Amino acid sequence: MRGPARIAPGALTDTSRPVGFRFDGRPLEGLAGDTLASALLANGRQLIGRSFKYHRPRGIVTAGPEEPCALVDVIGPRGREPNRLATTLMLHDGLIAESQNRWPSLRFDVGALSDRLGRFLPAGFYYKTFMAPGWAWERLYEPLIRRAAGLGRLTPIVPAHADPAETVHDHADVLIIGSGAAGLAAAHRLGECGLRVILAEQDVVLGGGVLLDARWSPWRTAVCAGLAAQPTVRTLPRATVLGAYGQGVFGALEELGPLEAARHGGLRERLRIIRARRVLFATGALERHIAFPGNDVPGVMLAGAALRYLRRYGVAAGRRPAFFLNTDEAYDAVFALVAAGVDCAGVIDVRGSSLAAQRARELGIEVVAGAVIARVRGRTGVRGVHAVDVDGHRLRRLTADCLLISGGYSPATALPAQLGARLTWQEAIAAFVPDLAPSSGQVAGAARGVFGLAAAARDGDAVARAIAAQLDAAPDSGSPVSSQLALPELPADPQATPLRALWQVRAAGKAFVDLQNDVTADDVRLSAREGYEHVEHMKRFTTHGMAGDQGRIGGLLGSAVLAEARGVELAAVGVARPRPFTQPLPFAALAGGEVREHYKPRRRLPLHEWHAQAGATFVPTGLWLRPLVYAANSGWEAVLREARAVRSHVGITDVSTLGKIDVQGPDAARFLDFIYANTFSTLAVGRTRYGIMLREDGMMFDDGTTARLAADHFLVTTTTVNAVAVLEHLEFHLQSTCAPLDVLLTDVADQWAQFAVAGPRAREVLAKLAAGIDLSNQAFPFMAAAAATIAGVAGRLFRISFSGELAFELAVPASAARSVWSAVLEAGAPFGIQPYGLDALNTLRIEKGHVTGAELNGNTSADDLGMQRLLKCEGDFIGRTLAQRPGLTHEGRLQLIGVRPIDRGQRLRNGMQLVSSGAPQASLGYVTSSTPSVELEGWVGLALLAGGRRRIGERLLATSPLHEATTEIEIVSPHMLDPENRRVRS
Amino acid sequence: MSAAERAFADSGGIRLTVLGADIVQIAHLRSGAQELAGIATARGWPLPRCGGVTPAARGVALSVRPGRWLLLSAPGSPGEAAAGWQAACARSGVAVDLSSALAVVHVAGPAVREVLARGCRLDLAPEVFRPGAAAATIMAQVGVILAALPEGVLLLTPSTTARHFREWLSLSALPFGLVPQADATVALLSGDPVK
Repeated sequence: MRGPARIAPGALTDTSRPVGFRFDGRPLEGLAGDTLASALLANGRQLIGRSFKYHRPRGIVTAGPEEPCALVDVIGPRGREPNRLATTLMLHDGLIAESQNRWPSLRFDVGALSDRLGRFLPAGFYYKTFMAPGWAWERLYEPLIRRAAGLGRLTPIVPAHADPAETVHDHADVLIIGSGAAGLAAAHRLGECGLRVILAEQDVVLGGGVLLDARWSPWRTAVCAGLAAQPTVRTLPRATVLGAYGQGVFGALEELGPLEAARHGGLRERLRIIRARRVLFATGALERHIAFPGNDVPGVMLAGAALRYLRRYGVAAGRRPAFFLNTDEAYDAVFALVAAGVDCAGVIDVRGSSLAAQRARELGIEVVAGAVIARVRGRTGVRGVHAVDVDGHRLRRLTADCLLISGGYSPATALPAQLGARLTWQEAIAAFVPDLAPSSGQVAGAARGVFGLAAAARDGDAVARAIAAQLDAAPDSGSPVSSQLALPELPADPQATPLRALWQVRAAGKAFVDLQNDVTADDVRLSAREGYEHVEHMKRFTTHGMAGDQGRIGGLLGSAVLAEARGVELAAVGVARPRPFTQPLPFAALAGGEVREHYKPRRRLPLHEWHAQAGATFVPTGLWLRPLVYAANSGWEAVLREARAVRSHVGITDVSTLGKIDVQGPDAARFLDFIYANTFSTLAVGRTRYGIMLREDGMMFDDGTTARLAADHFLVTTTTVNAVAVLEHLEFHLQSTCAPLDVLLTDVADQWAQFAVAGPRAREVLAKLAAGIDLSNQAFPFMAAAAATIAGVAGRLFRISFSGELAFELAVPASAARSVWSAVLEAGAPFGIQPYGLDALNTLRIEKGHVTGAELNGNTSADDLGMQRLLKCEGDFIGRTLAQRPGLTHEGRLQLIGVRPIDRGQRLRNGMQLVSSGAPQASLGYVTSSTPSVELEGWVGLALLAGGRRRIGERLLATSPLHEATTEIEIVSPHMLDPENRRVRS
Repeated sequence: MSAAERAFADSGGIRLTVLGADIVQIAHLRSGAQELAGIATARGWPLPRCGGVTPAARGVALSVRPGRWLLLSAPGSPGEAAAGWQAACARSGVAVDLSSALAVVHVAGPAVREVLARGCRLDLAPEVFRPGAAAATIMAQVGVILAALPEGVLLLTPSTTARHFREWLSLSALPFGLVPQADATVALLSGDPVK
C-alpha cells in the first residue's frame, strides 16, 4: 500500500509497482494504475487548487472527466500544460504537477482576498463597473481582472516541441457510446448478430458502473471475453466521444496507452472520426451536486466518486466521512467504506425514511433523517458539518474529515441532445431524459433513466435487438462464437426507496451551483432579477455550465434555482443546450497531421527540381510553388535582366501551372460558344483564339486561349488561379444548362508541361527542335496551333504570346518535361536564352497591358477591361443578359488604363490610390499592377480608374498613405508597348 | 534485416511501390456505350462497372466516373497507347493520355487499411471495399483514386501533388513499418494480378 489513505487493494492499481511523482514540488508516491487524483488522495491530500474567481481552496469532487475543481498544471519536457484533470490524468513515473491560480502558495493565496470581497463581485459585475474612463478597460481593468481570475495559463507553443497528432476514420454498423451494463449487453448482442460494432468507452477499462459492484464481476468478465471473441466488435477504451454531428458522424478523442504512444512517435491523443449506420447512447448517468453553504470545501466529494476511489484504487476519501444523501443508490458508498473499515461519522438523509437508511442503522451507522446540511466547518479541509431540519432547526453536529454527498443522478444527455433529442422531465428520478427520434439514434440504460445495473443491462439488450432488427441482422446461433456467448445470470437490483429531490439548502454563505466558474445560487437569482430569465441567458450572464466541465454535476442545480426564482416548474426551465465538444480537447488533436509543412498540399511543377537547382526563389501561388526569379534575392535587377533577355533576344518560362481542359465531342464547339463570351465554332482547326468567360452574373470570370486541335476537339487553357474553378464551372454547365450536348471534358492540367519561348530569336530556337514544321509567318502565323514533335517528343505547339514578343508555347507530356526543357536551353544557348520567372513574366505582361488576377478580380466587367468588343452579338452565352445591365457598362465605372509617373525616377506601388489633388477626398481608382519597365523609361503600371478611358492624357496623383508616397502620374493606354501587335506577328 | 524491415515484421507493416504506368482514359459518347465496351473487350480490356477495377490481359481497367475508364498498363512508348485507343474508338468515344497526369502507388501488407484510414473517409473494411472495388475520394487534401486488388490497393493521385501525398503516406505508415519496394510495375500491370 502506498499512502496513508490506501486501505485496500484496488481493481486497477498494482501494489507491486510504486510510481514516484511530485505535486507542488513535494515528492510523493502512488501506484501504477493510479490517476493523479487517486494518488493524491492516497497521500491524504485534499487541497488541490484555488478556484477561478474567489480563489477559494478546492479539492477533488469527482473521479472522472466531469471534475470541476481538480485541475493542475503538468510540467513535462515540452513545457507547462495547464488545466489537466487530476481525475483522468494517469500517474507515471516522474510526473510533475502543480496547483493553479494561487500566489504565493496553495495554502496561502493572496488572491483569496476576492472571496472576502465577494458581495461586491457578483455575476456580471464587470459589465456594470469599470465603465470610466473609457481607455482604462483594455489597458487597466481587463488585464487586472484576467490576472486575478482564471485557472491555468497557456505558454507559447514551441513548434519543434509540438506533440504529434493524427486523425483516423472509423466505420461501423453500430457505434455504442459507453460500456456500462447497457453498453456491454448491447455490444454483446449486436456482435452476436454479426454486426460491425464500435464500443467507445472514455474510461481506461470497460465496465462503467459494473466495475463498482463485485457481484457483477463474473458477468463483466464473461461479456468482455465474448466481445473479444467476436471478430466484428471493436472496443475502444480511453476513447471519449466528444461530438455528435448528425448523418452518423461522431468525433472521439482517444488517449493512447504508453506502449502505443511510444510506437507512434510520442503520439498522445488520436482524433477518431466515426461514421456509423446506427448509434446507441449508453452514456450512463452522472451524480449531482447539492447547493449548500460550504459545498466546495476541500474534502466535499460526490459519494459515487468516493466509491470509485475505493473500488478502483483502494483509496478512502477520508478517515471519518460524513454523508449527505437523498437516494438509496448513494448508500453503496456508505456500506462499501464501512465494510472496508472506515469510521463513518454519520449519514444525513433528506428523506424521512428509506430502505437503505434502515439497513445502515442495522449496521450501526447513525442516520439523521429528514435533515439537510446548513454549514460545513473548515476552510482548507472539512472538519465537520451542521445538520438542520427543513425548518432550519439544528439537529446534529458531526465531526468529520470529509463529506460525501449525492443529489441523485442525471442521465448524461449531452450527446443525444446534440442530435436534437428533446429533454423530457421524469419526476421519478427528478431528471431530464432524452427523447430522441429513432432515426437519429437510440438511448439505453441509465442514459434514459433506467437505473439499476440489471435493469440497464436488460434495456441495453432490448434496444440492441431493436437495432439489429432495423439492420436486418439476427443472432447466428449456429456459429461457434455464438455458442461461447452464454452469459451468467444478471445479479438482481436491490429494492430502493425513491429519491427526494433536493437542489439547494438556503442558509448563510456561498452555495455553489457551478464549482468551476464560482457561480453561486445567489448569482442565479440575481440573473433572474436582472431579467436574464431564460436558462440560456442565465448561462451567459453567470457563466454557469460553461468551461471544461460543462456543468455536468451542477447544471441542473442552476436550473432548479432559476426555476424557484422565476416561480415556475423546473421542467419548464430546462437545461442549457449542449454543443460539441462535450469536454475540452487540444487544438493539436483537431488539426491532426495537417500542420506546418503539411498544412496544405504543395503542387510542384514537373521541373521543380530543375528550377531549384537553377537557384530559383519560389513563391507560393495557390497550392503551386512557382519560380519567381532565378536569383536568391528579390531585387528588381535580376527580374529586369530576365525580362530584358525576352525583349532583346529570347527567354523561356515554365507556364505548366495554366489550367488545361480537354474538350471533345460532336457538340464541343457549341458548348464553348455557350461558355465563352466570344465565338469558337468559327475557329479553324489548327488555330487558337483568345477567349473571355463571364460568370452567370455578367462579371468577368476568366480568360485564356483555346486551340482547335480537330473539328470536335478543343484544348482550353485557363489562368493558373482559376484552373479548378473553371473546370467546375464547365462541368456544372455541361451537366445542367447544357445537359443535352454530347461533350466530354477531361482535366489535363497535370498531363502537359508547357513552356513559353519568347523573344525575337524564339523562332530560330524552335526551328532547331520542331522537326518538320515550317515556323514561318506564312505557314505558322500568330495564333496557329499544331501537333508537333519537339526534341523528339510528341507534343503540341502554339504560336501565342503573353509577353508581347514573338513567342511560341510548346506542350509536352510532363514526364518528358526535363528532356525537352534541356533541349530548348541547349538550342537557345547560342542566342543567349534566359529562363525567366513569374516576376519577369509579370513585368512583360504589364508593359503589354495584359490582365491577370489583379485585374480579373471578380469586380470587373468585360467593358471595364476594354473587352466589350469581344462579346458576341448573336447567340446566347453565360452571363450575356446580366452583362448588359447599364450599371456594368456605365462610363463612370472603374476602367483599365495604364499609368506612368511624370517624374520617371519615381516608383509606383500596387494599391496606390488615384486622386486628383492632395486634399482628402474619395479615391478615383487604384493601381492594380506595377513594375519597372524594360523598354520604357521608369515605372509603368495598370490601374482601374473611374471613367478611365476618357481620362487618357490627364494627370492625377497616385498616393500610398501607408508608404507616405505620392507621385504625379499620367494616364495612358494600358497597351504601353507595341500597341499595334507588330512584334507578336513578326 | 533493416530497422524498417524489423518494424514491418513486428507490426504488420506496409509495402509501398511507386509504379510507372501508361494511363489512358477512355470515355464513351452519348450513343457509343455499347460500341466502346465491345471495342474494349475485343482489345482485351473488359470494362468494369463504375466503382470497379478488373484485370485485363495487359494491365487493369478501373472506373470511378460513369462512362469513363482508366486503363493502366506497363509503360510503353509515350502517347502510343492513347493514340491506339483514339483510333479504335473514334466514333464511339474519346481517348485521352493521362500517363503524366496521374501518379500511381501500390500499397500492400497487413497494415494497409489501417494506414489508409488515417486519411481516407471511405469505409475500407475488406467486406465493404472488396478486391475489385474502386472509388474516388480526397486524402491528405488531394484527390485520390483507390482500387482494391486481391493483393493491396492501387492509389492514383495527380502527379503535381504526388510528392505531397507520398510524404503523407510515408509518415502515416511509419509507425507500422514501411518497406519501400523495388519497381514491381511489370508484375502488377503485366501479370494479370487481379484474378
